[in-house]
Amino acid sequence: MRNRVREQRTQREMSQAELAAALGVSRQTVISVESGRYLPSLPLAFAIARFSDLTVDKMFDPDEEAGT
Amino acid sequence: MTFIRPRLRKPMGYALAGAALAVAWAVRGGPSWFLSIVIEVGVLAIAITTYLRGGQDSDEGALAGSRADERQKLLGLRSWALAGNLAMIAAFTGLTIAVAARAAVWWPFLVILAVAGFGYLLGLSTYGLAEEDPADDTSPGHQARSPASR
Repeated sequence: MRNRVREQRTQREMSQAELAAALGVSRQTVISVESGRYLPSLPLAFAIARFSDLTVDKMFDPDEEAGT
Repeated sequence: MTFIRPRLRKPMGYALAGAALAVAWAVRGGPSWFLSIVIEVGVLAIAITTYLRGGQDSDEGALAGSRADERQKLLGLRSWALAGNLAMIAAFTGLTIAVAARAAVWWPFLVILAVAGFGYLLGLSTYGLAEEDPADDTSPGHQARSPASR
C-alpha cells in the first residue's frame, strides 16, 4: 500500500524524529510506515492523516504498491 | 507498576526474579551453594545491560525500556508467540523422549504443556473469542436501503 507520509513530511520540512514525536510513536515506526513495511492501526492512520490535513484515503492508497 | 519508571520496570523484574532464584539456590545448600552468587551476579549483569539497552533509540531499546509504540508492541508480541511455540515444541519433544526412554521424571514436561495449553485457552477467552457473536442485525429492509445496494 502506497502512502504519502514521506511526501507530506518533507513538504513541511520535518525530520522523521519530529514527526514521530508529534504522533507519539518511535522514529523507527515512522520509517516503517513511510517505506510501507508497516501498516499503521486505524487510530495512528487517522493521526497521520489529520497531521497532514488530508483524509485517510488520500494519505494511504490501497490500490498502489509501496515504492511505486 | 505505574509508580516505577518505565525504563526500570524490566531490569527490576529481572533482578527480582534472579534474586529469588539465587536465594532458592542458597537455601538448597550443599556443595554448590556458591552458584547462588554466580546467579545473582549474572542476573545483575543482565539487569544492568537491559537498563542500558532501554536508553537506545531502537526497537530493542524501546522494548527493553517499556516505552514501545504499537508496532514495537506487535513485534514483542510476535516474538513472545514464537518463544511460546518453541517452548511447547521443546516440552512435547522432552515428554515424548522421556516416555520412550522410561525416564523416572516425565511429568514436568506434561505440566509445562498443560500450563501452556491452559494459557492459550485463557487468552482466547480473555481476548474475546469465547464471546457469543451477536446475530446479524442486517434485515432485508436494511439491505434495500443500503447505498451499496442501489
